[in-house]
Amino acid sequence: MPNNKSKPGPSRMSVYLYIPNIIGYIRILLNCYAFAICFSSKRLFAALYFLSFVCDAVDGWCARKFNQASTFGAVLDMVTDRISTACLLVILSQVYRPSLVFLSLLALDIASHWLQMYSSFLVGKASHKDVRDSSNWLFKLYYGNRMFMGYCSVACEVLYIALFLISSKHTENLMDVVVTTLKQGSPLSLLVAISLLGCSIKQVINIIQMKTAADACVLYDTEKKQKR
Amino acid sequence: MPNNKSKPGPSRMSVYLYIPNIIASTFGAVLDMVTDRISTACLLVILSQVYRPSLVFLSLLALDIASHWLQMYSSFLVGKASHKDVRDSSNWLFKLYYGNRMFMGYCSVACEVLYIALFLISSKHTENLMDVVVTTLKQGSPLSLLVAISLLGCSIKQVINIIQMKTAADACVLYDTEKKQKR
Repeated sequence: MPNNKSKPGPSRMSVYLYIPNIIGYIRILLNCYAFAICFSSKRLFAALYFLSFVCDAVDGWCARKFNQASTFGAVLDMVTDRISTACLLVILSQVYRPSLVFLSLLALDIASHWLQMYSSFLVGKASHKDVRDSSNWLFKLYYGNRMFMGYCSVACEVLYIALFLISSKHTENLMDVVVTTLKQGSPLSLLVAISLLGCSIKQVINIIQMKTAADACVLYDTEKKQKR
Repeated sequence: MPNNKSKPGPSRMSVYLYIPNIIASTFGAVLDMVTDRISTACLLVILSQVYRPSLVFLSLLALDIASHWLQMYSSFLVGKASHKDVRDSSNWLFKLYYGNRMFMGYCSVACEVLYIALFLISSKHTENLMDVVVTTLKQGSPLSLLVAISLLGCSIKQVINIIQMKTAADACVLYDTEKKQKR
């Protein structure tokens, strides 16, 4: 270690004990318990899942307030998000037919986030949320407007949770349930309609992101070969 | 593009048409990785529909996603060519796994074999996983042997996954530590 630096770095142990990371561990525990009881107590599951979502926002705030942002914390967040969404899609695929719908959503979620992360490393962007170089209008709208981005992301989670809470028996037909709920004309119908819209936009964004990220990987190879 | 290079780079379209494994490419490597993750995930999803408690397969899915994600992230931070080149862990199982490609292959293949076998064995929806596994092992048939061997390999793979998560997390923390010290 260079001895011309006056400030010692944080010890390894202390990063694991950063407040936002502790909140991250709590999120994990909340999710574990939530999924363990999801079928026996749907409302408690929804409440815990929502609480974990709130913690996600809180730990970001804590990281900035206490100046405890860490790479480990960012990865912990990302991985927890991916896994909780994946598990939610798994239980939805158990409850609704055809399960291919939720298998596809799971595949799209994994593929788009993975490609995104990989390509942003290659290109060296600080955050994939800083992408500015796509000419696609929807892309620009999504990334240029944090509220729109937030709406689309939250809409997905709200839709999934709503679909889970609505389900009353095992192996229901997804289309029937969605159409019935929308036809009711209740506040629930409105919620499902709005979140269905947001979720659909998010999936389109995911597909565009996969293409953009794949292009970035290819460009990286192209430039690497040209440098030889 | 610099004009002192004599060889023109591959066009973007041609990289998408590369035959994988003959001409290595970053896109090909990522495509491979993502396809692996998704096919394993989907297999675990259908197993969670067939077997109870589904928490078993949910956990395996979580562990698969978490360990590979952390691994990839940390190897980017450390700049390793491939996470399969990790050499700096003192854990004996880790060294055995990464030092011996055959052992590594056995563990990875064992997982997929076990999952497919469990799926093929299942005859009706929502069976108890423990019952099915114990019954199959007690049969003393070639299938029992296959399940036993792949169960062993799969278990080792999960332990490796857990160790990898810890190693990768440490790498993330070390990255931050070194970054702060450079200031």
